[in-house]
Amino acid sequence: MIELFDVTKRFGDETAVDAISLRVERGELCALVGTSGCGKSTTLRMINRLIEHDGGEIHLDGQPVRAFDEVVLRRRIGYVIQSTGLFPHWTVARNIGLVPRLLKWPKSKVRDRVEELMQLLGLPVAEFADKYPRQLSGGQAQRVGVARALAADPDILLMDEPFGALDPITRATLQGEMRELQARLHKTVVFVTHDMDEALALADRLVVMHQGRIVQQGSPVDLLREPANPFVESLLGGMDRGLKEAALIQVSEHMLPLGPRLLASERIPYGASLSQALSVMLWHRVDRLTVVDEEDIPIGELSLRRLLGAKVP
Amino acid sequence: MRSATSMATQVPALQRWLSPIVWLTVLLVLTLGMGQLEWLFRLIEPDLRQVIYRRADFLTLLGQHVLVVGIASLLAVIVGVAAAVAVTREFGRDFLPLVSQLASIGQTFPPVAVLALAVPALGFGTLPIIVALLLYGLLPIVRNTLAGIDSVDPQVHEAARAMGMTPWQVLRQVELPLAAPFILAGIRTSVTINIATAALGTTVGASNLGDPIISGIVNGNTAYIVQGAVLIGLLALAVDSLFERLQRRA
Ligand SMILES: Nc1ncnc2c1ncn2[C@@H]1O[C@H](COP(=O)(O)OP(=O)(O)OP(=O)(O)O)[C@@H](O)[C@H]1O
Ligand SMILES: [Mg+2]
Repeated sequence: MIELFDVTKRFGDETAVDAISLRVERGELCALVGTSGCGKSTTLRMINRLIEHDGGEIHLDGQPVRAFDEVVLRRRIGYVIQSTGLFPHWTVARNIGLVPRLLKWPKSKVRDRVEELMQLLGLPVAEFADKYPRQLSGGQAQRVGVARALAADPDILLMDEPFGALDPITRATLQGEMRELQARLHKTVVFVTHDMDEALALADRLVVMHQGRIVQQGSPVDLLREPANPFVESLLGGMDRGLKEAALIQVSEHMLPLGPRLLASERIPYGASLSQALSVMLWHRVDRLTVVDEEDIPIGELSLRRLLGAKVP
Repeated sequence: MRSATSMATQVPALQRWLSPIVWLTVLLVLTLGMGQLEWLFRLIEPDLRQVIYRRADFLTLLGQHVLVVGIASLLAVIVGVAAAVAVTREFGRDFLPLVSQLASIGQTFPPVAVLALAVPALGFGTLPIIVALLLYGLLPIVRNTLAGIDSVDPQVHEAARAMGMTPWQVLRQVELPLAAPFILAGIRTSVTINIATAALGTTVGASNLGDPIISGIVNGNTAYIVQGAVLIGLLALAVDSLFERLQRRA
């Protein structure tokens, strides 16, 4: 659990972070969003003490971060950044094994852990273990960065625009993997992003910052439904909010069992979102879709009327 | 990187080290066999009685030359790298502008002047030349080490700290290895310059390969000058090609 109480950071005359309070529960993924320069990275760096805060308190599991030795503290917290910060003179395997080695794990245990993580993140050991960072694509390097952060199995993960520099397709893949990873590992995560769709898709708690302050926080749906002010509203997509909310709901949650009627000709996978369903309806100018499972076997149907009545549960 | 260099590493070792080995061999052969070339130097100075420098044998002079340059360079590496590291730490940051300025300006200071200043302070002999070479050789090393440490991607540096490396571990495992090619280039410049500059040691009473040159100038014997200059040049070439080889590995 991470708690911030009235945390403040000044750089000279400028207040980068202004008395923010925040609580991220164990196993929760908290996304920080806001315009450039609003203090997101600074907030993140204060948690692992890359930057020391000037005022307020930061607690991890009830203990102030200042009570820890900073080196010990950082080895317990995973950290992922957009540029990856991989060591260019080390192989992938050596990069991933960094924190376990710092913690003086036995060699064989480090090797096993590195291999386990490479598998977890879809990096075949035989192919990637001995490669150097410059030989990796952006997406592969980012996976290595995540693996390195997870290596010593930290409870807490800090991620600063981890997928920021990637093309939309790779980014979507990694977001999907991130979601699966989080479902399995239940880390306490603070995640900074500029991509609102990414924030909405991944976050349990969404925190909107503006000029060093927290403007609003809550579940993605709450914020979409009831933005505190026009700034939050426009940040969350303005008129697109309806689609953004629909993107959070799965077709399977709102489909009806197959009726006696003829099957609709257009199909949609049951795992798709309602915004995708709406898009398919718009594209084909139809008001009914057949919902299919992974094997393309019809399992239900979704009508426009039904879709319009959908609310986040 | 590995796959790119694996081709190069398959070239037999002898071939890779060929050019330093050739230069070293030529240097040694000429050092030991200078006397055999009397007929050649006669062509240069037909009227003089003695055309081969005999006051000391060339091997001893070469040894002394290498020793002086070696000691001065070793000290310069230790002091230079330590100074550059110190001023890039938290506690030494205040001195960074001063030191980096000194390192770039100092190079324009002529070595003879350094030597002239060292003699009154340290007297004649080997010590002033070592000090002069040390001071003069320090500059490229400091400058290059600073450039090397500065070249480390700030994000890599931040990641190293964020993963929980101690400042010492960041220095040893990240900064120095990444700065190594720069540092090596600085040492190369420093050593090569000092091999030439060391010849000036003769003027303050240190004996080395500068002796035949100075003696040749004083006695109007071009053959002596050529003998000293050729050996110094060969030594510089041999050492330089050795560094070139090392840099390619780094
Ligand atoms: N080390 C520093 N020294 C001085 N000012 C800083 C420092 N780090 C950040 N700032 C300032 O603090 C403010 C907040 O910066 P921060 O990096 O936290 O923003 P951000 O929300 O992460 O922005 P972005 O979305 O562009 O990454 C900015 O005005 C920035 O200029
Ligand atoms: Mg930032």
